[in-house]
Amino acid sequence: MRKVRVSFTLNGLKKTDEVEPNQTLCDYLHDVAGTTSVKKGCDTGECGACTVLLDDMPVTSCLVLAPQVEGRDVVTVEGLGTKLVPNPVQQAFVEHDAVQCGYCIPGMIVTLSWVREHVPRASDAEIKRLMSGNLCRCTGYLQQIEALKAAIKG
Amino acid sequence: MRPFQYLAPIPSFDYVAPRTLAELFEAFNGHGKGFAIIAGGTDLMVALKERAVAPEAVVDLCRLRGELGGIDVSKGVLRVGALATFSQIESDPLVRRYANALRQAAANVGTLQIRSIATLGGNLATASPAADSAPPLIALGASVTLLGRSGQRTLPVQSFFTGPKKNALLRGEIVSSVEIPAGEGVSSVWTRAAVRNENVLSTVSVAIAASIHDGRFGSSRVALGAVAPTPILAENSSRAMTGSEATAGQAERVAALAAEEARPISDIRASAHYRKHLVFVLTRRLILQMVSEAGIP
Ligand SMILES: Cc1cc2nc3c(=O)[nH]c(=O)nc-3n(C[C@H](O)[C@H](O)[C@H](O)COP(=O)(O)OP(=O)(O)OC[C@H]3O[C@@H](n4cnc5c(N)ncnc54)[C@H](O)[C@@H]3O)c2cc1C
Ligand code: FES
Ligand code: FES
Repeated sequence: MRKVRVSFTLNGLKKTDEVEPNQTLCDYLHDVAGTTSVKKGCDTGECGACTVLLDDMPVTSCLVLAPQVEGRDVVTVEGLGTKLVPNPVQQAFVEHDAVQCGYCIPGMIVTLSWVREHVPRASDAEIKRLMSGNLCRCTGYLQQIEALKAAIKG
Repeated sequence: MRPFQYLAPIPSFDYVAPRTLAELFEAFNGHGKGFAIIAGGTDLMVALKERAVAPEAVVDLCRLRGELGGIDVSKGVLRVGALATFSQIESDPLVRRYANALRQAAANVGTLQIRSIATLGGNLATASPAADSAPPLIALGASVTLLGRSGQRTLPVQSFFTGPKKNALLRGEIVSSVEIPAGEGVSSVWTRAAVRNENVLSTVSVAIAASIHDGRFGSSRVALGAVAPTPILAENSSRAMTGSEATAGQAERVAALAAEEARPISDIRASAHYRKHLVFVLTRRLILQMVSEAGIP
């Protein structure tokens, strides 16, 4: 079928591309756009490994069609911090041993960076509610919650 | 569900994103029977991946936020556009004020990532018996506006649902908005039981809207989710509650009637018997909560 021309912002840079209509944003970002932090776990919106920001809201990119990004703003973890200049949540994850295998981590950082920015006074219960869409099969979440709270305190 | 299919790409389709309602109905016309509408995509994308649908064209509503989005109040009616997301509904001050039960349900849908894109219109159109937005809307006496090429019509939300995954939409019609009476003095509450706290379909959900004056309930409506082929208005229970004394004894009686009206099935989440019990427990809990919030000892 006909490819779709899209113009959008990826990690702060304007981008125009021709995308397959039936490709998910998750596959497009990982396989085509080179933002390989975006991981696919379940491909059905359950696990959060594919979480990115779409117009500054966390979404599971496996449930978004690539053509739907027309005119919108997409941020992956690559756009949130770098090895040399990590964002506060990334830095806190290192300090709190909040990473084990790492598969869930890009999505987890995207969600928790959003929580830090938009709900900095979240209670423990609220933090758990907001991160329930990011499954981590390794850490048991406690280090990640501690890391987020440390990053919020700054 | 056949998981191996997830390895293969979704069979391709034409993607169209109309910029006006006229273009939208044009796009429907151009694709005969073979189109699917996408709003947030949280149900449609899964259906595409499961091969439950294989449309020739996917018609995206996203450019029609002006016409089909937004939340506002005018002339005593709270209007929620079909494209309002559950995140928007969860944090909207008008919804908090006039439709608290809907806010509570919205905050419990899926996960943060799902609420960010999942829309009210999509939740209704999917017509799951467990659709979390439905019991609050039914309890609040809301109606849904359907828009087609030749005009619009309005139905009570409970009549919009015609069976499991079946609704009153005709081919080429869309859900454009939901209208909720924005009455002062009406309070509404929602709760549910589920196998875990987050990211799971409700096993049973209950919503109640009522006013309380001088220790008595005014006009009251009890609505139930996931206990019948569609979300339902529990009519006997609502009738019994209306005008009754706001007491623990009445809560018990109204809850027992609601449990009688439930026609649940047994499935992986719960047995029919347990679901009826949950209707009783949750209905009684909500009424007692309303009584205590009204400051009645
Ligand atoms: C991980 C996960 C968790 C979920 N948790 C919950 C939950 O807790 N509670 C719950 O109730 N649901 C839940 N859902 C289901 C889903 O998120 C909701 O039903 C959602 O509201 C659907 O809205 P959407 O905009 O994403 O719909 P879409 O997927 O875009 O559309 C759904 C259907 O409605 C049609 N449609 C959409 N908009 C319109 C319109 N305006 N007019 C006519 N037809 C239309 C589409 O063609 C499609 O058939 C969950 C889904 C996932 C993937
Ligand atoms: S891969 Fe998208 S939520 Fe699991
Ligand atoms: S660190 Fe392994 S899944 Fe989270």
